[in-house]
Amino acid sequence: MAGPAHPEAMAPPTPGRTRAAPPQMPSTWWSAKRIRTYILFDATGIIYFLIAFLGIRLINALGAGPEAWDAAMESLKNPIYIAFHLLTLVSVIFVAVRFFRLFPKAQPPAMGPMKPPPGPIIHGMLYVVWFGITAFMTAVLAGVIL
Amino acid sequence: MVEKTIIITRFDPDRDEKPRKQEYTVPCEDSWKVLDAVNFIKDEIDATVSHRWSCRMAVCGSCGMMVNGEPKLTCKTALSDYDDRVDIEPLANFPIVRDLVVELDGFMHKFESVKPWIIRAKEQAEDKASLHPEKDTFGQSTEELGNFKQFSMCINCMLCYSACPVVANEPDFLGPAAIALGHRYNLDSRDEGAEERHDIFRGEGTVFSCSYANECSEVCPKNVDPAAAINQAKFGTVIDWAKGLVLPRGGTK
Amino acid sequence: MRALLLKIEPIIWLLFGQGILIGTMLLTGWVLVVGLLIPMGMVDASALSWDRAHGLATSWLFGVIPVGQLLLAALLVLPLWKGAHHVRSLLIDFGGAERDGAVGSLLYGVAAVGSVLAILAVVGL
Repeated sequence: MAGPAHPEAMAPPTPGRTRAAPPQMPSTWWSAKRIRTYILFDATGIIYFLIAFLGIRLINALGAGPEAWDAAMESLKNPIYIAFHLLTLVSVIFVAVRFFRLFPKAQPPAMGPMKPPPGPIIHGMLYVVWFGITAFMTAVLAGVIL
Repeated sequence: MVEKTIIITRFDPDRDEKPRKQEYTVPCEDSWKVLDAVNFIKDEIDATVSHRWSCRMAVCGSCGMMVNGEPKLTCKTALSDYDDRVDIEPLANFPIVRDLVVELDGFMHKFESVKPWIIRAKEQAEDKASLHPEKDTFGQSTEELGNFKQFSMCINCMLCYSACPVVANEPDFLGPAAIALGHRYNLDSRDEGAEERHDIFRGEGTVFSCSYANECSEVCPKNVDPAAAINQAKFGTVIDWAKGLVLPRGGTK
Repeated sequence: MRALLLKIEPIIWLLFGQGILIGTMLLTGWVLVVGLLIPMGMVDASALSWDRAHGLATSWLFGVIPVGQLLLAALLVLPLWKGAHHVRSLLIDFGGAERDGAVGSLLYGVAAVGSVLAILAVVGL
């Protein structure tokens, strides 16, 4: 991605007095570690798309009856599905870690009389809720409780 | 004292078709900042090198340059943090006027468009009711100041514009510093202009164009954290939008 | 096209944000059990036999809240909007701002269609 930025990026509203060279993006745009993390974060969007459509297929099978459901669950044993789900799990954890770090400071400093708790507390609370929901869902879906 | 190769991007609008690189060998003192090396080149080696600088103490915000591909305030960046070869380029995402000097007008235009001043419904002289009874000024508690103080520390160095991937690709995007400044006034308890700034935050290429790369906050030399301001502004816009559904504004929107 | 996108951006951003926050929180356990533990045989498949799975999915909380269906709807709908919005900003970062009106509308269109399909699937249980 080392290359030109949009030719009109940061262009003046009226042309300046001298000829200007067009804006460039930094030559290290793609290789910089932080930017790579950000690009990967956005790229997990593709995974979220796929996992949602896969889920819709499963729920349709669940609605269609026991045979369709058993066939759908059987198809998930395909190594390609297992690899995809492994990738999804990694993506979901990556999204959670990055997003939980960015979430607290995006809260408005005050909403009327209410003030959000300090950033580190929100950060910790997000992790507690995430672990809680995950543990509960895992236990329910795996048949440990309920 | 170490010898370093400083690579400067040169561009003369009268002669060069496009920017080129020129290398200079500079004897560097250990205590030097990157700006000192550029100043040394200008003073002792090649007087035709053009760059902006002024205060040398991270207050004026004029010496922003790309150092090895990352936007840096050169007066605040130790040269000893870099290897023997240091690549100095003009700020990315800006049109280059000459050498390390970039075109500021686009930035100034965006900066101005958020109305970065206190807007009151009434003139101060007619608004005696809101004034502090003895001091004849608009009062503000420490807590109210704390809501926005961080966002008011911007020195307009434009590093955030160079770091932002959205600025590079969407010419209409208002950009980190301008949105942070508009948000700073919206948070100011003395300001009554949120309504007036509302369209600026809702129109094309405004807060929602931000994809929260957080790069602006990473490179900000004054810890303003523009990414926080932009995303707080998104919350505010969503709340305004929801309010607008319930109580439609009279005719203006 | 782009003008319309900019008009509806607050609601898209809201769905997108919930997609990251709620979507991620629900997906972790879902992917772990349904996608990995059961297919790999680490958890017995009887845990999600049709009877039990259907029972969980159609369970009611206090007899008034269809909690299973609500959670499933959130799990399927919200990640679609996270996906659409992030893929859109990814494409813009790779120089697609000019095509954003058409591409963005297409992505949100897919997410909207997916959301309808997801809700139909959940309601049809």
